[in-house]
Amino acid sequence: MEKLVNTKQKDDSTIDQDKRKFAYYPGCSLNSTAIDFNISVKNLFKALNIHFEEIRDWNCCGTTPAHNVSKEMPIALSARNLFLAKNMGLEEIICPCVSCYCKLSKASILINNKEIKSESEIKTRKEIFEVFQNMGYKTEEEFNFKVYSLVELLYKNKELIRQKFIENKNKNSINSETSTIESEILKDLKPVCYYGCVLLRTEGVTKFDNMENPTSMEEILDTVGIKSKHFRFKTECCGAILSLTHKNIVLKLSKEILDAALEAGANSIVVCCPLCQQNLDLRQSQINKHFKSKYNIPVYYISQILGLAMGLSYKDVMIDRLFVEPKFIKK
Amino acid sequence: MIDQDKKYLNTIRHELVTIVEPNIYYCYQCGKCTAGCPLSDVYEYQPNEVIRLIQLDKIASILNANSVYLCASCEICSSRCPQEVDIAAVMNYLRIKSWHYKQFKLSSIANFYGIFLRIVKIFGRSFEPLLILSLNLLNKNFFNDFDIAVKILKKRKIRLMPEFIKKRNEVSKIVKKYL
Repeated sequence: MEKLVNTKQKDDSTIDQDKRKFAYYPGCSLNSTAIDFNISVKNLFKALNIHFEEIRDWNCCGTTPAHNVSKEMPIALSARNLFLAKNMGLEEIICPCVSCYCKLSKASILINNKEIKSESEIKTRKEIFEVFQNMGYKTEEEFNFKVYSLVELLYKNKELIRQKFIENKNKNSINSETSTIESEILKDLKPVCYYGCVLLRTEGVTKFDNMENPTSMEEILDTVGIKSKHFRFKTECCGAILSLTHKNIVLKLSKEILDAALEAGANSIVVCCPLCQQNLDLRQSQINKHFKSKYNIPVYYISQILGLAMGLSYKDVMIDRLFVEPKFIKK
Repeated sequence: MIDQDKKYLNTIRHELVTIVEPNIYYCYQCGKCTAGCPLSDVYEYQPNEVIRLIQLDKIASILNANSVYLCASCEICSSRCPQEVDIAAVMNYLRIKSWHYKQFKLSSIANFYGIFLRIVKIFGRSFEPLLILSLNLLNKNFFNDFDIAVKILKKRKIRLMPEFIKKRNEVSKIVKKYL
């Protein structure tokens, strides 16, 4: 399948190591139940020499509840985070959580001056700007926000990852004979990559990969020598936040994803969304109970696996905080 | 039950077919949306049926069924539609309107939205322990997810104290204005 990436487009995210700095928006999940995602992303960025600074006093993006009760609320909530980043002098934002990423990008498209807007969008923009003017924010400036999801940023910096991986490999070649927990995990890894539903589908947000058969995560893992299995459930929905109110639906959908992973010959799943991870990892015990099954499939964040490949320890990327632990971690 | 004669239904339909998704009349019932929908087996109306009912001006039947409220916004329907009908946006718009007119049919989901946004209004950020406890109380499902709560605590993957942001009055204002 042909890629949707426009190759002529200026590849603006290749990182100029020393000058470029990103605003980092973790979001509520990464601050609690997905703390392992947060820490592994931060440590990975340090290893890759990507500079970032957390947005000061950021607020919740409102996620599913906000966009289901109001058209303007998710935009206004995310607009505050964008304005805070602008106050710090930063307009490029990294957002690892997929749900937050969708909300922030949609808001950025509405706020940016250059994007063409419909009449109703212009009206919404004006209304939201008035709210922020009353709170003392500067809204007259030129805005040019760009929000990156973790996968997009890593994908555009594949060469940097490859380079750092080789550097690290050469550095450690002397003691490569000894097997550590980290090397065991990497050696044993036969993953499928699971993108989840909204990362590549959100309307109006830059598409960096094909939305039916994406390959960016596979290509990223390939740069550190990990071969992924072909997976037919790459972008199927896990049921998302229905887990709180209609759990059985989520258990069924997530079970189908686990089944498809096993069918593909994989022994683990690599994900990039905190909610998908929670439904597949934390709820795997509930799936086993509900369906009388015996799944035991570790579900890693892509940042954890890359972190290990960059020579970080399994504690640096918090692999011991996964609910289904890889067998190499001793209790 | 929502009565088909309710006045606001006309307003909803008018806005839906003129502003939200004028493409809705291009739907020729190919069924691609339903074929890809992960929730089609629990829906009372399938995505293609929802679109047809809107064309036929039967908004009340849609709002009385569970489909619109259960939709997880995965957007597979919109992304695959050969006629570029944004089905997910239509479903989302109907959810917003049923919330606005206090006609949200699935109370457990409405409770979740209400509690979540109130928590954000108070703290500026989400706070899971309070969310889960209040949700279980309101939905009268007291021991729901007790098993995984224990696991989360053991792995120290949750905050026991909420995080207050400094300018939470700004977030309060935003949530209050649009809720």
